[in-house]
Amino acid sequence: MSQVQGGIGIINLSAGDPSLVNEIKELGGEELLECIQCAKCAAACPMVLAGFPFFNKRVIQAILLGLRDALLDDSSIWACQSCNRCTEVCPREVNPFEIIQAMRRVAIREFALPTLAIEGLKSLYDTGHAVYLAGAGNTRAKVGLPEKPPSTLSYPEALKEVRTILENTELAELGVIPMGESGVTDSCEV
Amino acid sequence: MVPKIGVYICHCGENIAGAVNIEEVRAYAEKLPGVVVARNYLFMCSDPGQELIRQDIKDGLVDRVVVAACTPRTHEPIFRKALESAGLNKYLLEMANIRDQDSWPHWHDKEGATAKAKRLIASAVAKAAYLEPLEDRYVEVTPASLVIGGGVAGMFAALDLANMGYKVYLVEKNPSIGGNMAKLDKTFPTNDCSACILTPIMVQVGTHPNIELLTYSEVESVEGTFGNFKVKVRKKQTYIDWDKCTGCGDCVNACPAKVPNEFNEGMDYRKAIYIEFPQAVPKRAVVDIAHCLNCAKRTIGTKPRVHSKTGEPILAPCEKACKTGACDRSREYNPEGEILEINVGTIIVATGYRVMDKAPFKEYSPQSPNVITAMQLERILSATGPTGGQLKRPSDGEKPQTIAFISCVGSRDKRFHTYCSKVCCMYMLKEARLIKEKYPHLNIYIFFIDVRTGGKDFEEYYNYCRDLGVKVLRGRVGAVDELPGDRLRVRAYDVDLGAPVELEADLVVLATAIEPAPGLEELGRKLGITCGNEGFFKELHTKLYPVETSVKGIYIAGCAQGPKDIPESVSQARAASSAAAVPLTAGKVVVEPLISEVNQRKCTGCGTCVQLCPYSAINLVEDKDRRRAKIDEALCAGCGACAAACPSGVITLHGFTNAQIHAQIKALAC
Ligand SMILES: Cc1cc2nc3c(=O)[nH]c(=O)nc-3n(C[C@H](O)[C@H](O)[C@H](O)COP(=O)(O)OP(=O)(O)OC[C@H]3O[C@@H](n4cnc5c(N)ncnc54)[C@H](O)[C@@H]3O)c2cc1C
Ligand code: SF4
Ligand code: SF4
Ligand code: SF4
Ligand code: SF4
Repeated sequence: MSQVQGGIGIINLSAGDPSLVNEIKELGGEELLECIQCAKCAAACPMVLAGFPFFNKRVIQAILLGLRDALLDDSSIWACQSCNRCTEVCPREVNPFEIIQAMRRVAIREFALPTLAIEGLKSLYDTGHAVYLAGAGNTRAKVGLPEKPPSTLSYPEALKEVRTILENTELAELGVIPMGESGVTDSCEV
Repeated sequence: MVPKIGVYICHCGENIAGAVNIEEVRAYAEKLPGVVVARNYLFMCSDPGQELIRQDIKDGLVDRVVVAACTPRTHEPIFRKALESAGLNKYLLEMANIRDQDSWPHWHDKEGATAKAKRLIASAVAKAAYLEPLEDRYVEVTPASLVIGGGVAGMFAALDLANMGYKVYLVEKNPSIGGNMAKLDKTFPTNDCSACILTPIMVQVGTHPNIELLTYSEVESVEGTFGNFKVKVRKKQTYIDWDKCTGCGDCVNACPAKVPNEFNEGMDYRKAIYIEFPQAVPKRAVVDIAHCLNCAKRTIGTKPRVHSKTGEPILAPCEKACKTGACDRSREYNPEGEILEINVGTIIVATGYRVMDKAPFKEYSPQSPNVITAMQLERILSATGPTGGQLKRPSDGEKPQTIAFISCVGSRDKRFHTYCSKVCCMYMLKEARLIKEKYPHLNIYIFFIDVRTGGKDFEEYYNYCRDLGVKVLRGRVGAVDELPGDRLRVRAYDVDLGAPVELEADLVVLATAIEPAPGLEELGRKLGITCGNEGFFKELHTKLYPVETSVKGIYIAGCAQGPKDIPESVSQARAASSAAAVPLTAGKVVVEPLISEVNQRKCTGCGTCVQLCPYSAINLVEDKDRRRAKIDEALCAGCGACAAACPSGVITLHGFTNAQIHAQIKALAC
């Protein structure tokens, strides 16, 4: 978000949404209010090194101030590598990674997710893998492995279970990705 | 007899040895005239260090001692005791301060520091040769104490001393005791209601048989010394006969004159005749003569006119309303008040603080009625305040929806006070919490530089406030602008987001600094105690003597010494009261014999010294046919003004005789 990065725009606190805090707490970020903005998590975060404007500590502060739109207008939260280093170092047991996850859930509810994320979800539904390279079968064969790994790809009944789970999540209600028999593909090129 | 001087040089760990070449200095000292031995040790004040001195004395090796070490302020008593315990008169000691006056300031100039140490020691040795044995004097102590300031600190100090059985005079400048705490709503960290815990203490103070309450009074002058202070107290005229007044408030209701109410921080009006606050102790009325309208031409001290028809006297409304006769405007007009003289052995100063006004902070729109100080908010939240405890913004009485607090207003600010006021972080959190607990849907933002909650249970308090949803932002507010509709725009920079932020609020609360009570410096001058740079009274030693002052027998407690909260003020008050009780319990105190003496045989009776003595210790007395100066030992403070001024040179200041000082200067000069 350019506002934060360059300090150009002024953030209007009065327009902050006080309900965001509780929403995040309900969606898995229970320890949100424990954060004291010490920035230890930021010191451990690869998103900071990559130059994303909203990383763990700032995401938390923005949530605390109810800056829903600012967070949704920006794609930083999708850049979290799930390395969980922040969770390891946080002195307040905030579990910052969980808060980023919770913020992703908020974003999905509002369809504020990048294409990349949609593709990943679709692949998960279609193949049971969020990321599965199209040419993977050949590569595996070359090194003497069975073409399909012993996962949902080899066990259609397991894939069915995965789909059932996904069909029972909020994703189905939201219709973020097509579900049911329509347009299922074998793999997803990432 | 030739004096045998021993020189003892202390390393003070690294403090002195780090800058001064000790061995070089020791070798030099050994060769000084009169010196029989020069030794050095890591810590001369430690027991083995003192033992070096004691052994040399016992062996008959030395009969004059020079200790080259730190400051005599803290260490002279220690070394004097060492001399005494080895059987030598304790005034045969001289100290050279080669730490504070040498190694510390010249830390980076080792050669210079070593050279200076030599000169300081040479000078002390030169004086030591002329030292004479002196005997301590003892004076009886007046078994009573004076406490100045009737806030929570002063009240506890007074109660403790009174409960020990000593007579206590409690002087308070306002009509009632209670101080700033009486204005607070609830108090962190436990949120007890201030009035509920304070009022019973006020009543105890007011009814204690050993406490004489002198409210609406101020200290006029202080004479005498440790153990026997003579204090003049000016009791301001209340224009009401307090013996008759019952505090019923009828006069107040009748009075038509309106004056901004100090107790409610100027947010409503009191009358010209008033009772300071409902729980006042003593609960008595006072006439604020400057604002009195003199209704019915009833100027104080005049006889009432008589009604032409009824023949009845024409009275002012207050007089008419008073059923007890306490309010009688025919009483004598006496703006000077009454002077009381009291004698006490010790004095505790607990004059507290005042909060800064919002006016100097132009960037925060102080002209807006909705920009208030935190103390004003305390009054708004208090059930005895101008809104009866209802949260209302001053401009129109509406309940605010968004409140912004701004920290460090006038604190940590070179334009006003560079110190941290210490209690504001906590009281902002407290006020935010009290509001949030009552009205969970209000938006509360606190703008901090950083949150300082160092105290028992304080961090937990802070966490709890944040759990309540109080928003904490790091970044000092740059501006508060007035918007239409009595709203305010707060502009800040959120350091954590790294972005400028703006907030529309309908109440802005400034945590204005705690500053020294007005007139503190003048009171200090009367008492002879000093204020630090920041304007609060200075303790003798921050760590070791935190309630003592540079004047023996005078102690300090509470915010008079510096910003602090109630738990700290009370602890300090109770520490001061026990320190002040020690001499009262001992019954007599040592007075150092370092005072002046007149050689009466040679005195010409010119009287020069009589005028100069700041302690009025000198009188001219008839001696046979002539008048000669005589110094009262009990009153002389040993300042030396007389000795320096006597045209005949016949006054000796013991411990600083002419011979001693000349020798000292001579040694320094070479
Ligand atoms: C907005 C605010 C909220 C606060 N909230 C809390 C809280 O919740 N919890 C907490 O622990 N602390 C709180 N504090 C701090 C608390 O007020 C002080 O710690 C406490 O009042 C100090 O007591 P004191 O007796 O030293 O001074 P004071 O209360 O200032 O009393 C000094 C007394 O001396 C009198 N006096 C002054 N000069 C003279 C003179 N020359 N001669 C005679 N009398 C004189 C004054 O009239 C006054 O009565 C708060 C402070 C502020 C500003
Ligand atoms: S999440 Fe933890 S590590 Fe990160 S700023 Fe908050 S308290 Fe510090
Ligand atoms: S106590 Fe807090 S608000 Fe008050 S001056 Fe210190 S840091 Fe600032
Ligand atoms: S000034 Fe000296 S000579 Fe004059 S009266 Fe005092 S002591 Fe005596
Ligand atoms: S030294 Fe002299 S001037 Fe000073 S107090 Fe004593 S008598 Fe007075």
